[in-house]
Amino acid sequence: MSGGRESTGRRVLDALRRDPLAVGGTFVLLLLIVVGVAGPWLAPAGVNDVDVDAMLRPPSGAHLFGTDELGRDVLSRVLVAARVSLEVGVVSVGIALVAGVTLGLFAGYYRGWLDSVLMRCMDVLFAFPVLLLAVAIVAVLGPGLLTAMVAIGVVYTPIFARITRAGVLSVREQVFVRAAVSIGASDLRIMRRHVLPNIAAPLIVQTSLSLAFAILSEAALSFLGLGIQPPAPAWGRMLFDGRGFVTDAWWLGVFPGAAIFLTVLAFNLVGDALRDVLDPRQLTVSEARRSTP
Amino acid sequence: MSRNKLGVIGAALTLAVGVLSGCTGGEAVDVGDGGGSAGGAGGVLNAAIGGEPDQLDPHKTSAYYSFEVLENVYDTLVEPDADLKMVPALATKWTTSEDQLTWTFTLRDGAKFSDGSPLTSEDVVYSYERIIKQKLNTAYKFATVKSVTGPDPATVVVTLSAPTPNLLANLGGFKGVAIVEKTNVESGKVKTAPVGSGPFKVAGYTSGDSIKLVRNDAYWGDKPKLDGVTFTFVKDPTVALQNLRSGQVQWTDNLPPQQVKSLRDGDDPVVESAPSTDYWYVALNEARKPFDNPEVRRAIGYALDREAITKAAKFGLATVNQTAIPKSSAFFYDYAPYSHDPDKAKQMLDQAGVANLTLDLMVTSEYPETVTAAQVIAAQLKDVGITVKIRTLDFAQWLDEQAKGNFGGFMLGWLGNVDPDEFYYAQHHSGGTFNFHKYANPAVDKLLDQARTETDQGARKQAYEQAAKLIVDDASYLYLYNPDVVQGWSKKVSGYDVRSDRAIRFRSVALGK
Repeated sequence: MSGGRESTGRRVLDALRRDPLAVGGTFVLLLLIVVGVAGPWLAPAGVNDVDVDAMLRPPSGAHLFGTDELGRDVLSRVLVAARVSLEVGVVSVGIALVAGVTLGLFAGYYRGWLDSVLMRCMDVLFAFPVLLLAVAIVAVLGPGLLTAMVAIGVVYTPIFARITRAGVLSVREQVFVRAAVSIGASDLRIMRRHVLPNIAAPLIVQTSLSLAFAILSEAALSFLGLGIQPPAPAWGRMLFDGRGFVTDAWWLGVFPGAAIFLTVLAFNLVGDALRDVLDPRQLTVSEARRSTP
Repeated sequence: MSRNKLGVIGAALTLAVGVLSGCTGGEAVDVGDGGGSAGGAGGVLNAAIGGEPDQLDPHKTSAYYSFEVLENVYDTLVEPDADLKMVPALATKWTTSEDQLTWTFTLRDGAKFSDGSPLTSEDVVYSYERIIKQKLNTAYKFATVKSVTGPDPATVVVTLSAPTPNLLANLGGFKGVAIVEKTNVESGKVKTAPVGSGPFKVAGYTSGDSIKLVRNDAYWGDKPKLDGVTFTFVKDPTVALQNLRSGQVQWTDNLPPQQVKSLRDGDDPVVESAPSTDYWYVALNEARKPFDNPEVRRAIGYALDREAITKAAKFGLATVNQTAIPKSSAFFYDYAPYSHDPDKAKQMLDQAGVANLTLDLMVTSEYPETVTAAQVIAAQLKDVGITVKIRTLDFAQWLDEQAKGNFGGFMLGWLGNVDPDEFYYAQHHSGGTFNFHKYANPAVDKLLDQARTETDQGARKQAYEQAAKLIVDDASYLYLYNPDVVQGWSKKVSGYDVRSDRAIRFRSVALGK
């Protein structure tokens, strides 16, 4: 590592600022958050203002993104659906993060049979194709926003469990952990105060990447009719409803599709930039790049 | 649920002379380029249908996709003609006893199954007894049948427990009452390789892809011009249309509804429609408060804008109707008490003391128009202060919930009914098999029971009109619309007609170059 040790936060900001793609991604994310929070107020019309006489109007001054097959304003629906996507992303990744980190911590810290049992379970979950598992879970719990969140959360748990466990395995051998054990600190305290902070970096990277995939998964579930239920707007569902109209009303599919694309792209760009800064394996590369004139 | 009600395409009434303008007015396809007479050259017609049959046993399947195929494979004693009048098929003539309780049918001379074995009265008796004894899908059509016997190979005698004016419709309305071959059924082959006496026979069935029919040379009627028909399963209407345009298929009934208007203006593919006998409706659970109150149900009747619902759900390919029976039927009853009047609806709800009402409206992804319509209904009911929670289920789950009475309301349709008994009895009689919304009105019960056995057609029609008025006034079902049957075919196809009962008949179709 270079001599002048900066805080992690500072390094992250610096790195993001130098990477134009990351700046763009961050900008889109901020915009998304604003829309997600203020969507219903930003929307020019109500999401369920049905007006069948105005169905399938192309984009115009009155309806910037046109109207859908029930005469609803597509722009309004795209804006309001941002909240659903964010909600699903944050909640499901939150579930995966909490569950995965807890399982990984215990498995890596205690090792032994607990490790074997937990990680083999994770392996089984991991072996399923992501969407198939999510669909199976929704099939059991019944379609809806909440079950979609739970399903996506469960699907992404093993990744977090594995990353956490791998980190814990190396950190638990460190001298400062042994020191903490020797002065009689409890296991829980050691995990919380000494282990967790030292494995946070890869988890942060994984979180931002998982957000992208979670939003994509929600769109896929909604597309299959297993996510949020109509008439509430969701990007995936809008794509599904618009697919019958691709030839005569392109705007039904293009705008929600673009929203999914931009959101996922933004999360990925930011996630990549974060990895450049935080991932220990990538660290040496980026440090080296920095120190060369 | 043994009976998928939507799949059951119903029967045609013998004496109901439908004024089917759509069927009679210049529907015959004329191939302008003179290719019509070249039809005898045969060829195989490729038809794209929207899904795969669950099985091909005509007595056990309830899927419309199955009947699209089976219509061309099986025969019934009598069958509906273009005007849905019952005409001879396997039976060439029939007589009725003085007391209306004994019907004697004479079977066609030389009728054979496609495997060459003769079709006799034994087969008719076997087929009907199979339906009745095993309580199969169409058993309810035999409710008044006491016995079926075959005194000689060419004669079938049906004995009834009560006069049944619509017996011919029951015995020939659709291929769900087809005459099957005993050995074919008992070997179990009927599920995938059925043997019938119709114009075509099944030559191959590739699960997930297609069913191949070839001409049945043993057919009793005019020899089909086509060498065969291949039904392919194309779920996506956009793809089906592309296939039709590219010439991969020559016929489909799976057209994207929003494109039908512009397609009808073109001349290739030919797209035609006929008013159907189907109807779509909303039912409210009368076992639940406040829907037990007819005033509340009526208020919802006034809150609905049927024109808007129809436009959204069917892109105008339907006719708004506040009763079940379409205009084309002789039993049509012109009665439309509900105007779209949100203020009146609000007032009625206030008077009924109902506020902050939430309606759990159950729809199914199997029939996407219910999902679309439900969203329009939700918006309309919001205007009168009712919150609609739409529950979209797959059909198996939907039927399950319906049977358990686990719904506030639902939207669905009935396909192919023709006789008024089929339109009203099972749905609105307090003991009706499909009265899942628990409607009960003794006056309606009495009228429906009486009309069922009434042989005087005038009195029968009157009884059904009285019953229909009560049903509409009580808002047992909130009727929405009768959709059109829309089908499209290549210009090379000649001799095909869209039928209002949705039967797909390729027996007299020819394929030009």
